[in-house]
Amino acid sequence: MSGWAQFKAIVRKDLIRELRTRDMLVSMILFVLLAMIIFHYAFTVKEGADLTYFTGGMLWVTFIFAMLLGLNRSFAQEKDEHCLDGLLLCPVDRVTIFLAKTAGNLVFLLIIQAVAVPVFALFFIERNFLGDLLPFLVVLLLADLGICSLGTLLATISMNTRSRDLLLPILLLPLLVPVLIAATGATTLIFAEGAGFGSLVARMLFLLGFDAVFFVAAWGTYDFAIGE
Amino acid sequence: MKKLLSAPALFAVAGVLLIVGVVLAFWYSPVDASSMGFSQKILYYHAPIAAAALVAYGVAFVAAIAYLRTQDLKWDRLGFVSVRIGLVFSVLVMITGMIWGKAAWGTWWAWEPRLTTFLLACFLYAAYWVLRSVVDEEQRRATYAAVFAVIAFIDVPITFFATRFLPEGLHPVVVGPGGGGMEGSMAVSFGICMIGMLVLMAAMIVRDLEIELIKDRVTDLKTSLGG
Repeated sequence: MSGWAQFKAIVRKDLIRELRTRDMLVSMILFVLLAMIIFHYAFTVKEGADLTYFTGGMLWVTFIFAMLLGLNRSFAQEKDEHCLDGLLLCPVDRVTIFLAKTAGNLVFLLIIQAVAVPVFALFFIERNFLGDLLPFLVVLLLADLGICSLGTLLATISMNTRSRDLLLPILLLPLLVPVLIAATGATTLIFAEGAGFGSLVARMLFLLGFDAVFFVAAWGTYDFAIGE
Repeated sequence: MKKLLSAPALFAVAGVLLIVGVVLAFWYSPVDASSMGFSQKILYYHAPIAAAALVAYGVAFVAAIAYLRTQDLKWDRLGFVSVRIGLVFSVLVMITGMIWGKAAWGTWWAWEPRLTTFLLACFLYAAYWVLRSVVDEEQRRATYAAVFAVIAFIDVPITFFATRFLPEGLHPVVVGPGGGGMEGSMAVSFGICMIGMLVLMAAMIVRDLEIELIKDRVTDLKTSLGG
């Protein structure tokens, strides 16, 4: 079986497993929608308050916390059902497992975002931003890649420890601060000021650099993280 | 040579350098001409402490890579001792930075790039300790800690760059030693303090390594005695 076939098989396995029960996706989507409602009440300090400059922050805080939920859940299942042990017994390169798990998590995050962003736009954004959709999608994808590769590596580590899901946010959140700063700033500029590629290029390049550096770092260290 | 690199000898050298440095800073170097005036004196300790913290994290990074390559637990020991010392220095950076901030900008805390980066470094390396405390098996703990130390060390400079994206108005003008902007007599005192602080950090690492070795030996002896 070639590496590409193995990669596809693992991603397919993750997707089928999730689509059969839909446990994780349903709770993640509900969480994201609830978070928006809570943000609305938390930030509306007076009648008709303008929340436009909070949009980037609200969106990314919600996504990162939803991803934490999802990562914990996906690896808890792997561990509890001894699925990962089976995977490790197969003649599959550890790097392939990393790539496949990252891709799977990215798909889940994108599904949630596909539901969340339109609802978010309906709730919080008054101006027509359809023309700015392309830069937003680029920022979304770049930030997602960084979150998923680091998230996959650290979720693999944290699920093998005593405190499991408690540990993941402590490890992951400080590492994701740079992504949060760049993605939040870019998203707010897009939604509030209709910023185009020109004024976002520095942030986009930064996100691309972050993705590249941590993708390589996670790739290089995943072998150790997943263990024997 | 070995004696010269022992902890007591290093502590003595560091002590002498740091005392000489601070004496020179107050009586030889002139008072800063800028609006900071006398409060600028804290630079002679603040910046070397920051450098020492970063060097300690760098040592932990190198030790982590060495551990992942060799699986030798001595590198793990060096790694976590360095992180511990790095954390102590990071907290000191923030305390001295806050004192300086109060004197220079009139506020204890500003979301200024360097201060923010050190704050996050503190959280990252505190997470390193939490991670170590929740893994029981020695080899696995060392491996996870090494992986995290590598990732964390890469993240620190990236965080520093990211803070540049924050809106400008939020933080006051960054103060710091522009290498060329320092007057000769200031540079002498600063250099002595810098070397002194780095030697102090090395002394602390050497001493802690010795303590950890003794701890391990005690554990081994206890095990061999059957208890």
